Formats: sequence, structure tokens, C-alpha cells
Amino acid sequence: MANVELSSINKTFGAVETIPNLTLSIPHGSFTVLVGPSGCGKSTLLRMVAGLESPTKGSIAIGNRDVTHEEPSKRGISMVFQSYALFPHMTVEQNIDFGLRLAKVPQAEREARVAAAAEVLHLKPLLKRKPAALSGGQRQRVAIGRSIVRNPEVFLFDEPLSNLDAALRTQMRVELADLHKRLNATMIYVTHDQVEAMTLADQIVVMNAGRIEQVGSPMELYDTPNTLFVATFIGSPRMNLISGQSAKAEGATTIGIRPEHIAVDDANGIWSGRLRFAEHLGNETIAYVESDVGEIIIRLAGHHGLKEGTLRMTPDRLHLHRFDENGRRISAVN
Amino acid sequence: MTELAAPGLAPSMRSGRRFTSQTSALLLMLPPALVLFTLFVALPLFDAAYYSLFKWDGYGTPTDFIGLDNFKQALGHAVFWQAVRNTLIVLAVSVFVQLPVALGLALLIYEKTPANTLFRLIFFLPFILAEVASGLIWSFVFDGNTGVAAALFHALGMEPVFILADRHWAFAAITLVIVWKYFGFHMMIYIAALQGVPKEMLEAARLEGGGRWAIVRHVQVPMIASAIGVSVFFSIVGSLQLFDVVIPLTNGGPSNSTHTIVTYLYTFGLTRTRIGFGSAVGVMLFVTAVAVAVLYQRQISKGGRS
Repeated sequence: MANVELSSINKTFGAVETIPNLTLSIPHGSFTVLVGPSGCGKSTLLRMVAGLESPTKGSIAIGNRDVTHEEPSKRGISMVFQSYALFPHMTVEQNIDFGLRLAKVPQAEREARVAAAAEVLHLKPLLKRKPAALSGGQRQRVAIGRSIVRNPEVFLFDEPLSNLDAALRTQMRVELADLHKRLNATMIYVTHDQVEAMTLADQIVVMNAGRIEQVGSPMELYDTPNTLFVATFIGSPRMNLISGQSAKAEGATTIGIRPEHIAVDDANGIWSGRLRFAEHLGNETIAYVESDVGEIIIRLAGHHGLKEGTLRMTPDRLHLHRFDENGRRISAVN
Repeated sequence: MTELAAPGLAPSMRSGRRFTSQTSALLLMLPPALVLFTLFVALPLFDAAYYSLFKWDGYGTPTDFIGLDNFKQALGHAVFWQAVRNTLIVLAVSVFVQLPVALGLALLIYEKTPANTLFRLIFFLPFILAEVASGLIWSFVFDGNTGVAAALFHALGMEPVFILADRHWAFAAITLVIVWKYFGFHMMIYIAALQGVPKEMLEAARLEGGGRWAIVRHVQVPMIASAIGVSVFFSIVGSLQLFDVVIPLTNGGPSNSTHTIVTYLYTFGLTRTRIGFGSAVGVMLFVTAVAVAVLYQRQISKGGRS
């Protein structure tokens, strides 16, 4: 069992408190994504699980074993860095083999494990090359290879796809999801990209200013965001937020409605506005509207020949989200 | 027609223009460097090579052509071989003692902390001191009457030794001063290189189970290999050129036992106004230095290719 338990974690760097008090449970075998804006403490949290930073207060347990003061290499974890951190003077094979060599694993076993990792990650033809001769995606795979040969209980990923181009990122996302399925290991993944979080995770932890805003499955976060922060952070384009009279009428300080839950209805629409710009993406059309309730984004399925000028819209009341003056969810509108 | 002809003409016109601009850049920028190099490097070298074939005291025009006699004399002179041996000892001490000391200290203090900055400054101070001043300071330290060495001998209840006047100890003392004087320079090269090793590499090695020594051996040292190469090169060239620390310490003595190639050249060539002889020693030194430089370049380009 490789569940990860973080209890009352506090982390300060000098006078700066990065993480005030955080408790989090990561179940065995889950793909947990820590997501949040830059500086929210997600990487610090991951580095504390890795043992590269020590918590100022609190404890960390992996597989019910307290590892708070344990050396990184003794925690049963492995980590893939944003920059991949491959050793440039070693070949792909030597990079993957590095940890095994240090652990004095017998030669035959090392070779077998490296070969198995290379097979899984399609690295066989590249084993004798140096990292400088590899593409970004290949380097990424080598970093993952180095990670899996040691059979860790927990895999840690620190924004591993952020240096790749969009197409490769999508491909690597699929490969990572595949890998998780195959290894059935606990994976903790840090990203600031909510699309990565939504597509990979079975548990998302949304962080903001060192605090956890919400923990849940991607759909839970999407459908019932607990705070305004989660509501706007998860989902692209972001949720529309409306305050003032319209919100008051719903008994809230702010109401939120996702772009796909607003219909263009020139006959009976309750909000009116001026179309500023429309993005025609083929499978959908995104419209940016300056309305009487503020700036509104609408997502319409398929092609829509929206003309510039006035249009009327109706939000789907079943999908309205209500938030109080502290930005907390009130309850679902029925 | 004009429109059709223009694209065909354009490339040749363009390359013509490029040619003239390249030529004018060459004509403008090459001569100053070429003139300086010729005046201060090439001509003196050719002069030295020419003088080395004459028995000449430096006055008037050299007329007494003696072929390779100067070279033969140097190669047959016991003190010359003592100087070569000493130079090789300096080289070995520099490479095998000074550089490991510098690397070890660099590994201890390369991280940016206030204490490390202070240590870096302290360790670098000897390098800033003028060579002659360092030589003088250490000659006071080694003094058998009033120096620190004398006090140490007294404290140990021993009769003080005049280290710099002792054939067995004088050159060892010189090598000590050389290590003291130059390790800070090499340490700085290593510190700069170590600071350039991405932190994530060290963290990755740590996560893979690397202890302090394994990280140094498998990650840090290989990753600063080119800096180590530069430092070895400086160290070899510096050893070949060693002069101004030796002169104030021993002036080549006692009994010519502490000469290096350059102090030998100076003592037996310049001070005895045997310019032809000195030039011959200079030519031999130059050829050795060029050989080292060529070997180094080869090594570098081999490293670059792999």
C-alpha cells in the first residue's frame, strides 16, 4: 500500500510562509494532480514528499511509514523533473541504469530492468545515445525510464510536460495515463495546466496561496466547485461570474455559469449584449460578449454564423453556481 | 523583361555585395591584430630562433654563428636538467596536489552563502598578491632566525633549519608557496563551473540514491570536466613559465638546485649576457609549450566530438 499522508504540513522559507497548514490524503494507486497558479506551493509540496525539502512542521507518511526525516532515496519514490535532469555525460542506458548501479543491483538484473523499461517506453534504439542527441519527447521518456526501473511505490512528476510542444504534450499525456494504468502505482503530478489536471487525474488537488481550495475528481471540481477560485481555475474557457442585481436575485453575491450553459436566444433571451468577437474552432464556437451583466463568454457546439451586433442570451438555471461574499459555494440551484 | 531579368541578376549582385563587404571588413579589422601579433609575438620568436644559432652577448649584430651549439650546451648542462626536473615536479604538484585541493575546497564552498563568500575571498587572496610580494612574505616565513618556521622549530624543541638555504628542503618549500599562491585561482574556476551545474541534476542524483561522494564522482566532476581541462592547461603552462615566485625565495639556489626552466634561462642567459644561449633555452621552452597547447586543443576537439 503506497498511500501518501501529509499531516498538518507547514513550510516557511525565512520569513515567508509558503504553506500555512496543509493536510492531504493521497490514496494508493491514485493519479493525484496538484494544480494551481505559479507560487501556490504545489511544487514545494511535491519536493517535501520527495524529501528534497523538509517541512517546517507536520509529518509525511508513505505507505503508513513516517518518512518525514527519511533520505529521498529511502522513501520508495522517484521523480521526473520539469527539465528532465538527465545527466548529459551519460548515455540513455547509463542514465536509466544510474540508480540501479548506485544501489549495486547485480549486472544481469540491471540489464533486464533497463531493457524492460526501454521496451515499454520505446527507447531501445536510443540506448547508446547521449541526451543531447534526443528530442524533447525522447528525453522525457528517458526521465520516465530512469524513474520506473527502480520500481518505486510513488511516482512524482514536477510539471513534466511543460517543455514540450502542444502536439507532443497531448501524446505524452496519453502515454502517462497508459503507464499509470499498467503500473498501478501511486502518482503525484504537479502542473499549472488545468487541462493536464482534468485529463490525467482521478483526484485533483486545487491549491491557492499554500492552501488546498478543493480536493475531488475532475468532474466533481467541474460540476460543483466549492470556491470562486476553483470555479474560475477549472474549465476552459473559464466560468462566467456575475455579481450585482442578477446575483442578488438568485440569493448570492456572485453567480457563475459555464460558457456552454448559456444559450443564444434572440427571441426570449434574458440578457442582452454586443458580440465583440467570435472564435470559430470548427467543433465549437466561442463568443465574447459585452453584456448588461458584464463580460460573458459563450461556448456553442459546432459552427455558428454569429454576426457582430446585439444578441440575447439565456443561462441554464440548472447549471447556475452560487457563491457567498467570501467566495464560497452556497448550494446547487435546483 | 526587366521584371523577369531582375530575379536572375539579384543573387549574383547580392553575393558580389557580400564579397565586397566581407573583404572590406577583413581589410579593416584584420591588420591591427595582425600587426600587434607580428610585432610582439611572431617577430620576437623568429628573432629568438635566429639568435639561438649565434654566440652573442646582446651587443651589436650577432656574427659568431655556432649552429646548434647553444642547444647542445644546454642539453649537456646538469643544471639545465635539474631545472627541467624541478619544472616537472612543479607541474606534478600543481596537477596532482594543487588541483585536487582546489577542487575539494570548491566543492565545500561553491554554494552561495555569506560564510562561503568570506572563505572564497580568503582563499583567493594569495592569488591577488603580486608574485614577488608573495615570494618575499614566504622568505620571511621560512627564515631560520626570525621566521614563523624558526618559531615552530623552537616550539618543537628542535634546532631551526634555514629551509630556503637547504638543498633538501628549498624546492619543497617553493612548491608549497606555489600551491598556496595559485590554488585559489583554480578553485574559482571550479566554483564558477560547479555553480553552473543545474540543481535538479544533483537532486535527481540524490533521489537515485547518490550519496555526497557518488554525486561528486558521477555528476559534478564529469559535468565540470571542461573547466577541469582548462584548469589543467593553465596549470601546465603556468608551471612551464614559473619564474617570479622562485627569484625572491631562492634565486635558483642553493647551488642552483631550485631553478625552473625560466629562472635557468634568466640566470644563465640574461644575467650572464649569453643572449644566444638564453634564446636557445627559450626556443626549447616555446616548442614544449606549443606541444602542450596542441595536445590540449586535440583533447578539447575530441571531447567536443564525443
